[in-house]
Amino acid sequence: MDQRWRPTVNERDFIERALQSDLRVDGRRPFDFRRLKILFGREDGSAEVQLGDTRVMGYVTSQLVQPYKDRPNEGTLAIFTEFSPMADPAFEPGRPGESAIELGRVIDRGLRESRAIDTESLCVVAGKHVWSVRVDLHILDNGGNLIDAANIAALAALSTFRRPECTVGGEDGQQVTVHDPEVRDPLPLTIHHLPIAVTFAYFGEGNIMVIDPTYKEEAVMGGRMTATINSNGDVCAIQKAGGEGVMSSVIMQCLRIASVKAADITSKIKNEVNSYTSAKALQKVKRLPASVPKKDSIHAAAMKECTDGALEMQSAKASSDVQKIIKEPPSVVKDNKQEDVEPMLTECNPEVKSESMLSAGESNETQETISPKSLRDAVKPKHKRKKKQPIKS
Amino acid sequence: MEEIRADGRNPNQLRPFSCTRNPLDRAHGSARWAQGDTIVLAAVYGPKPGTRKGENPEKASIEVVWKPMTGQIGKQEKEYEMTLKRTLQSICLLTVHPNTTTSVILQVVGNDGSLLPCAINACCAALVFAGIPLKHLAVAIGCGVLEDGEVILDTSKAEEQQLKSFAHLVFPNSRKSASSKAANQKEEDSEQGLITSITHGVMSEDDYFNCIERGLAASSRISDFMRTTLQKQAPGDA
Repeated sequence: MDQRWRPTVNERDFIERALQSDLRVDGRRPFDFRRLKILFGREDGSAEVQLGDTRVMGYVTSQLVQPYKDRPNEGTLAIFTEFSPMADPAFEPGRPGESAIELGRVIDRGLRESRAIDTESLCVVAGKHVWSVRVDLHILDNGGNLIDAANIAALAALSTFRRPECTVGGEDGQQVTVHDPEVRDPLPLTIHHLPIAVTFAYFGEGNIMVIDPTYKEEAVMGGRMTATINSNGDVCAIQKAGGEGVMSSVIMQCLRIASVKAADITSKIKNEVNSYTSAKALQKVKRLPASVPKKDSIHAAAMKECTDGALEMQSAKASSDVQKIIKEPPSVVKDNKQEDVEPMLTECNPEVKSESMLSAGESNETQETISPKSLRDAVKPKHKRKKKQPIKS
Repeated sequence: MEEIRADGRNPNQLRPFSCTRNPLDRAHGSARWAQGDTIVLAAVYGPKPGTRKGENPEKASIEVVWKPMTGQIGKQEKEYEMTLKRTLQSICLLTVHPNTTTSVILQVVGNDGSLLPCAINACCAALVFAGIPLKHLAVAIGCGVLEDGEVILDTSKAEEQQLKSFAHLVFPNSRKSASSKAANQKEEDSEQGLITSITHGVMSEDDYFNCIERGLAASSRISDFMRTTLQKQAPGDA
């Protein structure tokens, strides 16, 4: 059996003939993307994207390095693509082939030259220390259209990546201390826009085109074009390397279709990233010492184990804050949580009650914390509270 | 005194593990094995004709590629590849397909300690899903030795960094015993033996034998899990 899979004459004929009647082998219409699924790993900055059968994993890491001489106050962004032999028996381990390099370059151009990631915010000490962000893209399964899937994986991973916070200090103002993520919250990257790559495949002398080709369609196609567009309609990059000649009117039509698809995919990515980030924030438990400034005392009380002593202490300090802030929510929360609260509390002080209701809910489920968001919850209390009730019940 | 570990487990408690059957489409067999937060994805491409230079053409050869999460391939990855290759060579029936190469590719998806045992388990599952003939399964477990000589199983990354020494052990899977009498168990245990053992750090002989004993007990749990997972098949599958 040959290493490289080649399509048979029948397969080629079938695909081309079906396309002439606007039918694709997997039942899609010519301008439909396959089902997109974005999953995030446990660590910040790791994402796995499944576009139909194609699976790509993106992983982002960062490091403090010396900047380039000609750009002393900008950080660097590097994209490494690994065409793992896991994805396709035709991929050899070791040196990347031309398609691997092309993929890396297309994604790199889309991100770097369109200034999607703000590199100036990655500077710590100009000329000496900057953050270097490294994106590793691992192709796990080649089901066709690797460029689009890898691009989405890179964007998803960059959106959820958090770099450690660092402060410049010391005598000469040059010493950089990098803070542990446990001590200080790591920071997200500044992403201005999301450039989405949309790939078109041309068949039959350039008059039939489809979006998001599968690997069988890729083997049969006459030419390919990738347009990297963001949701504002800005064209970040276009890649058409050889292949069939295509009329310029067709190219313009492709760009218009691409911008519609880009908006769609951008909203999907943003939704997934938001739901992951909010789920992670809810899970995070910050342990603060007892002697914290007044503002944080609400967090401390909400988070600590439900001991009445601690509540009394905190409530005395924070009663005024509690009154101010947790005015509205108790009316919503009290009704449903009365049963939970009653056996746990001994005090009837309304302020303490509302506060300890938060902490009672706390100790009931170890995962749910209201903590870092309790101040923010005050600004939009109602819909946040409502969300919690179905989870708690 | 330090009976409870950092994540609240007992010394003998393993992290929850899971195995996904054939998540990948192109590979002939693939498995995603997760032990807590350590996740490894293994893919197997079935026998390809020809062996590499220097390999014995009268037997099948196994080629292992280890892909870390980030960074270039270095010595650590090469060591893992070599360990896996030797382990898998001892469990596969190499004479069934002589002069062929079976490729096993691993991708580290998450690393929270006990990476090598997780990878070995993933490879074994992937080989089964690909239908490669095996003599028996390989069940791997990581054991750590605390300062007081206590042995903990399935170490996490934080534990491994603090421990004086730890060992990664691979056993063949335990046989299903019709009767669960202790006497029978002991006899079977002494027949089983150890396929692979990689240790880090200094430990006394007694500690090492302790590790083996605990590891063997745990391996029977993992092999029961493997037996149920690897057996589930749609009727009519070859």
